[in-house]
Amino acid sequence: MKLRSTQSLSLLTLSGVLLLSACSSNNNNDEAAGNSASEAPSTSSASASADSGAMDTTPITFSFFGADASPNWNNMQDEIGKVITEKTGVTINAEYDIASGGGENKIALMAASGQYPDIIFAKGELGKLVDAGAIIDLTDLIDKYAPNLKKLIGENTNRLKYSLDDQSIYSIPTNGGVDQQYFDATGGFEVQLRVLEELGYPEIKTVQDFENVLKEYVAKHPTTDGQPTIPLLLNADDWKSMITVTNPAFIATGAPDDGEYYVDPTTYEAKLHYKRPEEREYFKWLNHMYNEGLLDKDTFVQKDDQYQAKIASGRVLGLISQEWEYGNAENALKAAGKHEYTYGHFPVTLNDQYQDHELVSAGIDFSGISITTANKDPIRTIKFLDWLASDEGQVLLNWGIEGVHYNVENGKRVIPADVLDKKVNDNSNFMKTTGIGLYTTFSMHYGDGVQDSTGNYYTTNFPDQIIASYSDAEKAALKGYNATTWKDLWPTDLPVKEWGALYNMQAPTDGDYQVIYQKTQDIIRKSIPKAILAKPEEFDKTYDQFLADLDKAGAEKMESIYTGLVKNRVKLFTGKDIQ
Amino acid sequence: METLTAAQASQTKKRPKKTKTNKRSFLKDLIQQKYLYLMSIPFVIWLFVFNYYPIWGWTMAFQNYKPARTFGEQEWVGFDNFVRLFHDDQFYLVLRNTLAMSGMGLVAGLIFPILFAVLLNEVKSMPFKRITQTISYLPHFVSWVVVAGIVTSLLSLDGIVNDILMWLHLIDEPIQIMAKEHWFWGVVTGSDIWKETGWNAIIYLAAITGIDKELYEAARVDGAGRFRQIWNITLPGIRSTIMVLFVMNIGHLLATGYEKQMLLGNDLVSDYSQVLDLYALDYGIKIAHFSYGTAISMFTSVVSILLLFTANGLFKKFAKESIM
Repeated sequence: MKLRSTQSLSLLTLSGVLLLSACSSNNNNDEAAGNSASEAPSTSSASASADSGAMDTTPITFSFFGADASPNWNNMQDEIGKVITEKTGVTINAEYDIASGGGENKIALMAASGQYPDIIFAKGELGKLVDAGAIIDLTDLIDKYAPNLKKLIGENTNRLKYSLDDQSIYSIPTNGGVDQQYFDATGGFEVQLRVLEELGYPEIKTVQDFENVLKEYVAKHPTTDGQPTIPLLLNADDWKSMITVTNPAFIATGAPDDGEYYVDPTTYEAKLHYKRPEEREYFKWLNHMYNEGLLDKDTFVQKDDQYQAKIASGRVLGLISQEWEYGNAENALKAAGKHEYTYGHFPVTLNDQYQDHELVSAGIDFSGISITTANKDPIRTIKFLDWLASDEGQVLLNWGIEGVHYNVENGKRVIPADVLDKKVNDNSNFMKTTGIGLYTTFSMHYGDGVQDSTGNYYTTNFPDQIIASYSDAEKAALKGYNATTWKDLWPTDLPVKEWGALYNMQAPTDGDYQVIYQKTQDIIRKSIPKAILAKPEEFDKTYDQFLADLDKAGAEKMESIYTGLVKNRVKLFTGKDIQ
Repeated sequence: METLTAAQASQTKKRPKKTKTNKRSFLKDLIQQKYLYLMSIPFVIWLFVFNYYPIWGWTMAFQNYKPARTFGEQEWVGFDNFVRLFHDDQFYLVLRNTLAMSGMGLVAGLIFPILFAVLLNEVKSMPFKRITQTISYLPHFVSWVVVAGIVTSLLSLDGIVNDILMWLHLIDEPIQIMAKEHWFWGVVTGSDIWKETGWNAIIYLAAITGIDKELYEAARVDGAGRFRQIWNITLPGIRSTIMVLFVMNIGHLLATGYEKQMLLGNDLVSDYSQVLDLYALDYGIKIAHFSYGTAISMFTSVVSILLLFTANGLFKKFAKESIM
């Protein structure tokens, strides 16, 4: 009862919001389709291959929902936003999910109520909307009205298609850059810079090296600033346990990130990655670390804030995580000037056999922006999205306004020192006033390291700038390893994955799949910690029990459904014929 | 025997007459108090819209509900969702946890506030009494997020609870209390007591103030001590208050929310911390199985109503009192 009334209340609020927004309409899709059909010829002289110069700039408002939080959103009253409205006539009336929401509940309610915004960035929840018939196919729209998007998509049209059975394009991939090059590595295993310095920059390639380094240092320095030193700390609070506890199991054993699955590159059979024998060895190593007293005893009990507080106190020697995961705590250390307590990144693997595959490219396969059936002017919308993807649009979104946020000196775009200072040291205010970084989810764009026709980079991330952002302590540590960025320690030239990034693939909401998935998740969440905390002689028994529980919950059936999806995806992406 | 049947006969004779007068007087009242009835209409509508109209959504529990279809196009599956629900082992696990935690909370939420209210009532110094009361109900306004943080720190390896136990030599080395699954229900109940005792005591304190002071004086004249007075005057005086609150809380046994369990729980204790509402969220809304989620919450509502009526019926029978 309680659940029901909360749900209806949210529905009411939601529909209220939609009613208020100028754009939500009582037209149904038929009318919208009729509109666009009749409008196409009549929109001035703009022919089908219309360039953005002849754009219709009569004011129009689109409502939007974004599944990722965007706390600095300023209702387009920022400097870039005003330019966008001036050039395209479009105002976006945006609503974002809060905190680490991911849009899960909000989009489920949208699907149930049938009340959609005009444009939506649905992330992993796109499948729910597609199954609800809420998303329109963009294939023809892109073909007719979006030359810039077409250029960006290039030969990757197949990768945009939804599935083998439904080859519609439901979203324009915006949550990543096309042809992105990595200039730095921010994952792997982390070791504090003071440890590296004192031990003379030892080689850290295998978990054994990692363990030795932590052990040696903690023996020498059992306390840090008066508190006990913590050799290794993980974060098991809710979904973060995936980031620091379970994902590193495949990272350290040479498998690429495909969410909860491992895909055999020859047979395309998908299975839960926990079933790989080498990952059992990885968890056994964690079990060993715990029983040796190196892994913090609070690991599976503490909450995220306690985890961050421990890192911010500077007494944690090693982490197994991603920089964005513990970034807040590390920023606190940087702000306090304790740069020797920050972390370096190493591609650590279980043993020499494996190569870290974190930097493997999945090609164009990101979540993106979709147009819903509630949108009464899809043509105007696609033209707007296309303008954002033009060179003019991309430079505006990344660099800002010429003469205000950057200058062109000798043909090179340069950010003036005072602007850069604000951007680095007061970033949230900078975003709020300038709008730089607020609109990337709306526009398909090139990634870091791609240059435009003038020889300038599209984005503001390039090697010189990354090195300039390192602290002196970090530069010294990198020098100790003969590297200029952490990425230099990582293996390169890994083959592109044929099946893209599977965490972006939408699984069917119908049938048993989702239920079994949820069940296996529950089992994983409780069994992995139990296995790690078990006595060493009981580890194997616990892990066997875990694998048996997975199969009992129907994991095999789920894996076979997923294998089918993966095979279809490879067929779709590559055109190969797979049995 | 004879008198009894006679009494019964007279009762049955009387009854129809009584209802007739009732009906007539109701109509009379309605006309007399028409403005009062008119004024209540908006609230009746409000109640209907927010509490009765949503019940229409229960139809989803008998469908394989798909958002894109209209009501007429939905596929009807009868009791399939309920069959699935009652065949799921995890359902019984979460049901056990829900009942255990709310049962413990029900008992503790009855005993501690009454005890606290009675003791506070015996305090003679007014300033002390007021200050204590204010301090004790403040935790009620602290959000569960913060309470969970405080509890986790208190019970951690280097927390105060372990320190005290070590100091008393009751244990040899600190215990990771939050990782003990069998202790989880206790931890939840304990934090509930800490947070709500003061707040729940307010209503009992108010009830105690309503007891006639002359009763105490008379008792004292008769030579009753403090404990006698509590036992024979204070507690019977607040009996009906206790009863009403108890029966109402029984109605909430299954619908206790999930904030406490979600915030205090962790992966190690999940077998003891998962509750019904969380289960409905995870296996219903989150994975777009709206029908299944509806079936779960429908089950909760129906069982809650049954519990409420049973409890009330029992009280009516044995204590001759009723809240309805």
